[in-house]
Amino acid sequence: MSDVVVIGTGLAGLTAALRLARSGRSVMLVTKGPGGLQLSQGTLDILGYTPERVERPLEAVAAVASDHPYASIGADAVGAAAAWLAGALVPELLVGDPARNLHLPTAVGALRPTALAQPSMVAGDAIGGRSYAVVGVRQLKDFPADLVAGNLARSTAPDGGALAASAAWVDLPARPGEADPSPLTYARALDEEAFAARFARAVAAAAGPGDVVALPAVLGVRRSGVWRQVAEVVGRDVCEIPLPPPSVPGLRLYEALLALVRAAGVRIITGSRIVGRTLEADAVASVTLAAAGGPRQLRADAFVYAPGGFESGALEVDSFGAISEPVFGLPLTATDAGPLIPATYWGPHPLFAVGVRTDAAGRPVDAAGAAVHPNLYVAGGLIAGAERWREKSGDGIAVATAVRAADHITGGTR
Amino acid sequence: MSEKSRAERAQHLRERLNNELNRMSLDQCVKCTICETSCPVAAVTPLFSGPKFVGPQAERFRDGDSVDHSVDYCSSCGTCSVVCPQGVNVAELNSLARAVMKAEHGVPIRDRIITQTVLMGQAMTPVAPLANAVLDNKLARFAMEKVVGVHRGAPMPTARTQSLHTWLKKRPAPAKAPTRGALVYFHGCAGGYFEVDAAKKAIEVLEHLGYEVLVPPQGCCGLAEQSNGLFEQATKSVRALVKALRSAGTDLTIVSTAGSCTGMLKHEAHEILGLHDTELADVGTRIREISEFLMELHEAGELPTDFEPIKQRLPYHAPCQLKSQGMGTPAFDLLRLIPGLEVVDSNATCCGIAGTYGLKKEKYDIAQAVGKPLFDMVKQTEQGLAACDTETCRWQIENSTGVRTVHPIVLVHQAYGLGAVTP
Ligand SMILES: Cc1cc2nc3c(=O)[nH]c(=O)nc-3n(C[C@H](O)[C@H](O)[C@H](O)COP(=O)(O)OP(=O)(O)OC[C@H]3O[C@@H](n4cnc5c(N)ncnc54)[C@H](O)[C@@H]3O)c2cc1C
Ligand code: SF4
Ligand code: SF4
Repeated sequence: MSDVVVIGTGLAGLTAALRLARSGRSVMLVTKGPGGLQLSQGTLDILGYTPERVERPLEAVAAVASDHPYASIGADAVGAAAAWLAGALVPELLVGDPARNLHLPTAVGALRPTALAQPSMVAGDAIGGRSYAVVGVRQLKDFPADLVAGNLARSTAPDGGALAASAAWVDLPARPGEADPSPLTYARALDEEAFAARFARAVAAAAGPGDVVALPAVLGVRRSGVWRQVAEVVGRDVCEIPLPPPSVPGLRLYEALLALVRAAGVRIITGSRIVGRTLEADAVASVTLAAAGGPRQLRADAFVYAPGGFESGALEVDSFGAISEPVFGLPLTATDAGPLIPATYWGPHPLFAVGVRTDAAGRPVDAAGAAVHPNLYVAGGLIAGAERWREKSGDGIAVATAVRAADHITGGTR
Repeated sequence: MSEKSRAERAQHLRERLNNELNRMSLDQCVKCTICETSCPVAAVTPLFSGPKFVGPQAERFRDGDSVDHSVDYCSSCGTCSVVCPQGVNVAELNSLARAVMKAEHGVPIRDRIITQTVLMGQAMTPVAPLANAVLDNKLARFAMEKVVGVHRGAPMPTARTQSLHTWLKKRPAPAKAPTRGALVYFHGCAGGYFEVDAAKKAIEVLEHLGYEVLVPPQGCCGLAEQSNGLFEQATKSVRALVKALRSAGTDLTIVSTAGSCTGMLKHEAHEILGLHDTELADVGTRIREISEFLMELHEAGELPTDFEPIKQRLPYHAPCQLKSQGMGTPAFDLLRLIPGLEVVDSNATCCGIAGTYGLKKEKYDIAQAVGKPLFDMVKQTEQGLAACDTETCRWQIENSTGVRTVHPIVLVHQAYGLGAVTP
């Protein structure tokens, strides 16, 4: 028996497990598979659009609507949670100021607001007058250097200043005879110091004009500081631009968090789904693990449910449009998907704001506002009230709600 | 094998592949690439394009013929199915696709030999010193590589002079009368013939805890045959084993020291061979890997933890086929209950051997590259001993690091004061 069972290894589950274990609780972390981190940019978004582009995320958090997940947490606590997580990541993996957004180039040359980013990325912050020497790698099909440079050059920095960019290419296979390596394969090759040195020389020779050399985010996955090695040879600042999955910066963040969680003594079960629960009076007594060879009950005093949303299967829509949360059968803010799916891609998608409503402690509540189970907490994508991918708020919500749940379980004692 | 029966066999497997739920699960694939990033084989060789390409993607094009022969480089470690958050049975699909391909093109004679673990044990035990000398002989191993295709550097088990069942017959009756009822013990081929010491110790630990340990005569689970695409033979083997284990009682807990064979009984025979026998399901739900069993006792407050300290740092590796049982790493938790023992989890995906994969001359280098992070970790942390739950993985670790690698139960046995680790 553990003090707490945490379900899910997305940003929310990992953060909750780490925070609980560091305050002395015995934690069992259970997951079907890794969460969204290795599909993400490896940054920490707090709030990017409201829908206007946000410069000062904590000020915008303080102004969200009352049914937004941030509303019951407050800007100070959101900022503190993000700063705590960044501080836990040694060696430094997330830098920046939760109160100020960076605007970083994407793999199509757009600008994306985010609060905390990896040290290898921050030189790309779009400040008026900055010029980029974008360098593509012929073997990496998901980084069209010419498109990136072209779009950056016609963009205006948030401060109103102009940006400039040039494009160039290097041709350097990661493994002999492989025409089309994944970004991860390339990053693994760059973990080798000798290959990274060859790569750096090739980039130095090819890069066009620009203050910052912008490269696809493949600068090492296990060895930290590859970007510094490259920057020294190139003799200019370097910025990494995240690619579509598999995302190397996302993997770095996932593996770093997992290592912290393990080092904190958390026991981990991967590969099996939680499919139900047992109750003692109103409280959750155990959750049911669908292990090979039959169900097993995992008992604990408290449970943190951090299963993500629709994308991870935590919320389901059946062929009649009925929305449900299949594991605990929690009350949802809407149960009919029909009216929530608009005809246009660009319009708001209220379906993605559907989820569980919580009390101030992070416990799911029923229509009357009462906690459904006294010892069940939710964190991350399951919580109702935000269209995360549009707002760029999902990471901050995951971290802040995970910290809230952990702190309520430990009574705020740390 | 005649061409006709080969074609029929391929046809039969193809129909299974087309019709079973495993294949339906490929529609759940969202192309997130999570399996790609976790596959230990794709990480080290461009010869294998990875689980997503070979699995849910290539499967759509396999209509009447195997289009992607690189599926043969999949080691069947099962990692992709463990990590897939959408529940796609990637490894199971790949195993079936490989079986179809092998049925179409024929199975190398080598793959038929190395899967015969019981036969090997039975043949080697009476002539153990001779068998060991042959396996240690460089020239003999060179010849074996040329003729049979088993790499000369690959790990081979050490034959013992006495099988477990011979020991059971000859030993005096246990001193303590059982206080907790009876259990069935499943030792696997390794416990029966090659790692008899670990099997004896498991029995002694269970008896020390107060159980009466029943050890019915038992054969191979067929896992090696299954991962080499020999489904009919594997089906015969696993059914015979199920019958043997049930012969000792149909309501007793079955405890096993064979980590991967336990997975075969719990889910693989059902999911990969497609067996829906109720007898198999019965054994699959009653069986517990031994550390899993002891940790269940611990959770229930029924495991004595009066362990004698073992002052040592111990690298521990959880094998893939244990991780795919979705129960965490119970041996790691169990060993950490022993005072003084500093257990370090390898956190490595795979040792490379994957049953018989790493024995094959064309896969040997890949398997060594897969295992390298683990071997490095073991060499950096060891103080003379490492632990791992499955036999072929232990042999692989021992062979590639020179560090003696034991079943975790051996340390539990020592901590209960039942005897030291025997060399
Ligand atoms: C297309 C898309 C783009 C997005 N882009 C952004 C963005 O740019 N910025 C942003 O801030 N947010 C974005 N988001 C939101 C994003 O989902 C969150 O930022 C964040 O990743 C959510 O983390 P989480 O931990 O709550 O969930 P997840 O990362 O989804 O993790 C859920 C975990 O729970 C596990 N799990 C689920 N159910 C079970 C079960 N029954 N048993 C066991 N384990 C289970 C899963 O395996 C997984 O490990 C995006 C979302 C989508 C869908
Ligand atoms: S992890 Fe699962 S869903 Fe993702 S690409 Fe692999 S098979 Fe598809
Ligand atoms: S079973 Fe193992 S080797 Fe085969 S595709 Fe899956 S992860 Fe790769």
